[in-house]
Amino acid sequence: MKPTDPQPTVSTDDPGAVFPQVPRCRVLDDGKPSELCKCPQPTNEMYCSRDSGDAETIKPTDKGCDEPTDKFTVIIWRSFDARGVVRRIKTFGPRLDRSRVNHSATAVLGRAPDVRVCWTASVSVGMPPPPASHRPRKKRKGDTIALSGNNGTIVTDSVGAKPAFPLVAFLFPARGTVSQWVTLPLILMAVGLFRWATGFWGYSGFQKPPMHGDFEAQRHWMEVTINLPISHWYFHDLQWWGLDYPPLTAYHSWLLGQVGNLINTDWFMIHQSRGLDDHDLKVFMRATVIVSEYLIFIPAATICVRHLGRLAGISTWESSIALTAILMQPATLLIDHGHFQYNTVMLGFVVASISSMLGGQPLWGCVYFVAALGFKQMALFYAPAVFAYLLGICLFPRINIVRFLGIALVTVASFAVLFLPILLGGLYDAHRNIPLPSTVELPPLLSSLPFHVSEKAWYYPMLLQLTQAIHRIFPFARGLFEDKVANIWCAIHTSGIHKLYQYDSALLSRAALGLTSLSILPACIIIFLMPRRNILPWAFASVSWGFFLCSYQVHEKNVLLPLLPMTLLLASEGGLKADMRAWIGFANILGSWTLYPLLKKDELRIPYFVLTLLWAYLMGLPPVSTSTYFGAQSGEISAATKLLHMVFYLGMVAWHVAEAFIPPPASKPDLWVVGNVCLGTAGFGICYLWCSWNLLAKSRLLAWGKKVPKPEEKKL
Amino acid sequence: MSELYPSIAQCAVLATALKVLLWPAYKSTDFEVHRNWLAITHSLPVQKWYYEKTSEWTLDYPPFFAYFEWTLSQFAKYADAAMLQVQNLGYDSWETVYFQRATVIVTELVLVYALHLYVKSAPQSSKRTSHAAALSILLSPGLLIIDHIHFQYNGFLYGILVLSIVLALKRSGLLLSGIIFAALLCFKHIYLYLAPAYFVYLLRAYCLGEKSIFRFQFTNCIKLGAGIVAVFALAFAPFVYWGQMDQLLSRLFPFSRGLCHAYWAPNVWAMYSFSDRVLIYVAPYLKLPVNRDAVNSVTRGLVGDTSFAVLPDIPPRMTFILTLAAQALPLIKLFFQPTWDNFVGALTLCGYASFLFGWHVHEKAILLVIIPFSLLALKDRRYLGAFRPLAVSGHVSLFPLLFTAQEFPIKTVYTIFWLVGFLFAFDNLAPA
Repeated sequence: MKPTDPQPTVSTDDPGAVFPQVPRCRVLDDGKPSELCKCPQPTNEMYCSRDSGDAETIKPTDKGCDEPTDKFTVIIWRSFDARGVVRRIKTFGPRLDRSRVNHSATAVLGRAPDVRVCWTASVSVGMPPPPASHRPRKKRKGDTIALSGNNGTIVTDSVGAKPAFPLVAFLFPARGTVSQWVTLPLILMAVGLFRWATGFWGYSGFQKPPMHGDFEAQRHWMEVTINLPISHWYFHDLQWWGLDYPPLTAYHSWLLGQVGNLINTDWFMIHQSRGLDDHDLKVFMRATVIVSEYLIFIPAATICVRHLGRLAGISTWESSIALTAILMQPATLLIDHGHFQYNTVMLGFVVASISSMLGGQPLWGCVYFVAALGFKQMALFYAPAVFAYLLGICLFPRINIVRFLGIALVTVASFAVLFLPILLGGLYDAHRNIPLPSTVELPPLLSSLPFHVSEKAWYYPMLLQLTQAIHRIFPFARGLFEDKVANIWCAIHTSGIHKLYQYDSALLSRAALGLTSLSILPACIIIFLMPRRNILPWAFASVSWGFFLCSYQVHEKNVLLPLLPMTLLLASEGGLKADMRAWIGFANILGSWTLYPLLKKDELRIPYFVLTLLWAYLMGLPPVSTSTYFGAQSGEISAATKLLHMVFYLGMVAWHVAEAFIPPPASKPDLWVVGNVCLGTAGFGICYLWCSWNLLAKSRLLAWGKKVPKPEEKKL
Repeated sequence: MSELYPSIAQCAVLATALKVLLWPAYKSTDFEVHRNWLAITHSLPVQKWYYEKTSEWTLDYPPFFAYFEWTLSQFAKYADAAMLQVQNLGYDSWETVYFQRATVIVTELVLVYALHLYVKSAPQSSKRTSHAAALSILLSPGLLIIDHIHFQYNGFLYGILVLSIVLALKRSGLLLSGIIFAALLCFKHIYLYLAPAYFVYLLRAYCLGEKSIFRFQFTNCIKLGAGIVAVFALAFAPFVYWGQMDQLLSRLFPFSRGLCHAYWAPNVWAMYSFSDRVLIYVAPYLKLPVNRDAVNSVTRGLVGDTSFAVLPDIPPRMTFILTLAAQALPLIKLFFQPTWDNFVGALTLCGYASFLFGWHVHEKAILLVIIPFSLLALKDRRYLGAFRPLAVSGHVSLFPLLFTAQEFPIKTVYTIFWLVGFLFAFDNLAPA
């Protein structure tokens, strides 16, 4: 029997007054009311809609919920208790068939026995939003197709629904009714297994005297922080991996060092443990990376993906797919768990910051961003975007002085808290008459202060610590780029277009500064003028690509920074559709590929191939699969994009073949590395342009001659 | 009916990625055992295979497995020829490790194929449940721990077993099923424990008439008998010809090993040993005689007899009688109702009986129970109810195989992942 009552049932501010009197039972089974409908009152509602959204935006449908067509993509269920208060809201994914609906209703009933519920399938208008901590999402009207609940994960053909790429297939059984409290732990366990297994392989500097590598640096910082007084941290021997990261890294190292010291005191004996390659130490260090990541990056990413999903009206299930893809990013896995670094801590704070801004809590965004900067100064890549956005929300749509002051105050306070232990520690050590190391050189910054500071002044030790920390953190004396990195300067220099040695380093730094400013300017202006949340990841991506390509003192590992916001876009509107997936996948695979020369040095070839190819496989991308480019959804990708990407993919494959089998000519021993750098730079440049272009297009700064509906998202 | 996702192939790809990443993981002495067998089969004439004892890890699997090692050794020489020298004890260059680990992954394709066939031949109504069961076997933590970390070729061998079980699903496949099982016995004789179920099922369903057990299917008997004899001849005839059977059998059935393995498998004898241990302390109060010599040797089952201090010693014959007695009940039922479900049930129970009462049982033998049972677990909720505790305790009982800190997170997280994922899915899928 076809249901005939899809009209709005109630429109009132006080649902409690009306709802109990309007028990609406939808007849679910043919001809007879479903068992669930026997409950007389009060009632619960099952909304059928083309889309999730707020109650007022949900359109009544003219067909019942029990018809498994594409139209009923998202079903929102609300249950009310005796007073008509919303107790539970549940959203279900696309393409439910009726048996599933019934099943879920039972499940919900079973879990909330105190709520007398009755499910109906009518549609209500004007219900109050659920009591959620987040702000209610607003949905743009006009593009329901994009929001039809299928964010590009499912291909429908004559046979039925099919996963659009293999990653979807793995989550296919979790579609619809499976609680995210089952799905999420499974995802986190699976990605954790890949992380830990990657850690079985080599790390940077393993048995490579004299300097070893990043692993040794991190171990050394642990022994420095746990064995030396705090005032010595930034003064200790710079030559052997002196601490040159901001204070949060130092505190993190201290904490891990204390834990490690409980396990084995031999690991962190200052001077004696240098270059230690004990297997148990490796296991411990790997564990610290994973634990740090699971405490910071993974919760942040999970929440951020949910925020992005809410902004774009994406079902939880599809968000889980995006989350898995983000957490399996090959480059991040390989650098943190293979090469050995703690990037995910810094990236986690950045994601938390983005997530807070998306959630409408810019002050928390400031705190997290300061934490990211305080962990690794490379977070500066994002700083212009953060600054422009925060300034933008203080000025548009109207000037908001209170918010401005709040942001300024919170930021200053966060920095103060960040440096407080170092400063107070310096003061305390001076009080205890602990001298600085005899070899100490005073930081140049101190002498260049515009006022004279007496060594007797009570605040002198604090100023000394602060200036020394800044001196260590920002080593302006180093070169334009390190080793071989796929950015503009290295590409210009090494490819022989123009040798940069002939210029003065000051000139080069100024050139880098100028070019970087120029490259980040468009994104900053856009996000400043249009500080809307849904374009935030685009702005982050564009700015960090600009920095990566044009700035100074960039490592190849820094490609993780632009990759992060770009990969987060998978969780945003249309993120898993062929076009976006192709671009984001392209950037990630190219990024991973540019890391190959580094990973090869660390004996990480096999994990590189396994993780990169696995990710490509899961996302349906070349070189493993061509389904994204030539499959059912390939119509969404323009021919030019296809051609461009294919050229790059072929280039990467050819490069691997050449690198493996053809020795470079004696006169050009670095030929393959240079080739990698040049192709990488070109590809990243294109990614920069793509992100910037999309930022512009999605910002609606330009109306493109068409009448674009006024953005409804409330500007913060 | 739309296709089922994730497909077996997709899961195999994902699992392979993880398995390759696990290559540098801890490996047990079984790795050296198999390297040694590669060396023996590659560098010595067949006559010497079962006499060679340079390494303490002598060849003690039946001839087909030796032939299998010989085949692998033909490829091994391209990876690293040094692993093929018998004198190179404990050799584990990274080429050797990668090669041997890769062979485990590649030969496991037999299991992938068998499971694919299983889902394909399942009736439409139980496609979904068969698919879930197949994935649970493919992704089994038991196989990951034993094969891909500890190092053995169980995926390959269980693949043959599943293939044989699946073929038995149709009457037309019974002959082939029996022959394949005979071949499996010539790969690894531990599967002898399952042989009674095969014997009864093939006898009843293939050799005797459907309607009356007295109508003897003579041609079928001849076919099956000839097939099995041919398989055994292929395996053992050369050794019979050279008069090496006594030596071969003494290698295959080393009764000099104790009742319990060095690590106690969680079976009846473990309880028995434990009771004995407790009785050592209690005996003086109960005025029971204590065998002083045995007090310090109860767990030393690796070589030599296990002796008990208080309880009577258990001779091998005793374990066999108990095993057969425990197997009898399901076999009787199978004889009178020779359906495929009863057959798989009988296999499971035969595996159980041998695991619980067998002589010198390894904890790894629990797969002999779990894998056949997985094929049946989704039949209905009663089966699932029995499967759940087995899945949890069976897999957890494998944990002591890996004792290194590095592998600890893999074994625990993977097992929890599997248990949560599959028990949840099974719970949703199992018919009421």
